[in-house]
Amino acid sequence: MNGFLYGITLQWKMDIRSKSLLVTCYIVPLIFFLLMGGIFTSVMPEMRSTLIQSMIVMNVSMGAFIGLPPSLTETYGSDVKKIYKANGVPLYSGFLTMFLSAFVHLMISCVIILLLAPILFEAALPAQLPFFFLALAIYIIVSLSIGSVLGLAVKNQAKLTMTAQLVFLPSIMLSGIMFPVDLLPGFLEATGRIFPASRGYRLMLDHGFCLENLWYLILVFCAAAIICTILLNREKSR
Amino acid sequence: MVLKGLDLQIKKGEIFALLGVNGAGKTTTLECIEGLRKYDSGTITVNGKMGIQLQSSSLPAHIRPMEAVKLFAKWNKTKIDDAMLDGLGIKEMEKTQYIQLSTGQKRRLHLALALIGDPDIVFLDEPTAGLDVEGRLSLHEQIRKLRHIGKTIILASHDMAEVETLCDRIAILNNGNIVFCGTASELTDRIGRKYVIHIRTQQGNNTFETDNIEDTLISLLGELKQKKIHVLDIKVDRGTLEEHFIEMAGREA
Repeated sequence: MNGFLYGITLQWKMDIRSKSLLVTCYIVPLIFFLLMGGIFTSVMPEMRSTLIQSMIVMNVSMGAFIGLPPSLTETYGSDVKKIYKANGVPLYSGFLTMFLSAFVHLMISCVIILLLAPILFEAALPAQLPFFFLALAIYIIVSLSIGSVLGLAVKNQAKLTMTAQLVFLPSIMLSGIMFPVDLLPGFLEATGRIFPASRGYRLMLDHGFCLENLWYLILVFCAAAIICTILLNREKSR
Repeated sequence: MVLKGLDLQIKKGEIFALLGVNGAGKTTTLECIEGLRKYDSGTITVNGKMGIQLQSSSLPAHIRPMEAVKLFAKWNKTKIDDAMLDGLGIKEMEKTQYIQLSTGQKRRLHLALALIGDPDIVFLDEPTAGLDVEGRLSLHEQIRKLRHIGKTIILASHDMAEVETLCDRIAILNNGNIVFCGTASELTDRIGRKYVIHIRTQQGNNTFETDNIEDTLISLLGELKQKKIHVLDIKVDRGTLEEHFIEMAGREA
């Protein structure tokens, strides 16, 4: 096994040992799902058709914006990067292994929601599962890429927590997962559409891919990838 | 930190120390040699593979020592030297996460990581800072073992006692300049300190200063023997490296 593959399995293990990642990727989103799933489906039974997608948006947003960035800051905002650089471990490896490990953790927690929701709350399963999983994978990748920008750009943990909330809260409140976006004032609805959560939510609800949402997500991913590359190169040259 | 006109040659197989007060330029010099810091002009040639232990370094909080060793070994495409790990006691802390290691354990782990690629030249930046006496002695022993197997060691420290006991040659840095480069005894000669002889006899204590230790001792002992004065104790002192260093830094200031 080469360094990169070993790095991925090692990161996966470290993420399990890290209580903060367990909390943000599994415990809080699943508790939220159990509580809100019960409330939503009893108050508004029609939400059974969108429960899985809305709870997944909450789960992914929390894991990507609150869970991943502190791990990146721990490496790139501290002396960890110096020891990597000094002893032959490429700087990009830490970033990629964290990204991939977080992707797998989020996929697992989303599958747990997908399996439990129909049993506990009689939620409707997505009509076309392959399309759904493809949309889910795209949405997780885009969310993680935004989380990566946060983790690489903000070096101070306190500032990071605040900045992450500025992305997380509008993603949850304005994406339509808590209440229909039609009920929002026009400017908030428009603001909500800036955040990938609303696009990802709609992408997972579509029976086929709506190109408008897909292109938007691809655009956001490309922008985030470019920013991450610039930030990593800046770290490398320091 | 600005380094000015540094000219250094470090020999294969020696323990070489960069000595200086905080902010003298030790870490900057090391980082330039290690390739971790860009410099404006000059040439640095390193003949061999480097292993680097940084002054301030850290690892992910939840990594275990052997996992870090394996990760670094895989990226360096080298086999793990079990004897080296045993010598540094890395396997004893196998189950402990990095965040739970003591300062001494972390230092030993970082030394092990620096040695993973079987380097020819080992850079140690303040390797014993924050260690207790036992940890310090244990690390000194490891450093001597490294020299014994032919490694070149470049050490930055502000601990004079450490440098005096470990190193073959030293360079003293002050405000980015090398103010001295040579052995500890050459430094003493350069300072021009006299030998101080403390003699304790049945009649009391006496102190003598001399430039010529051999002749003075022979003559003193002969005189005492002639006078039938019984010598209880003799100490010859030429000052510690620390005193010389302070004197040298004072001169250059």
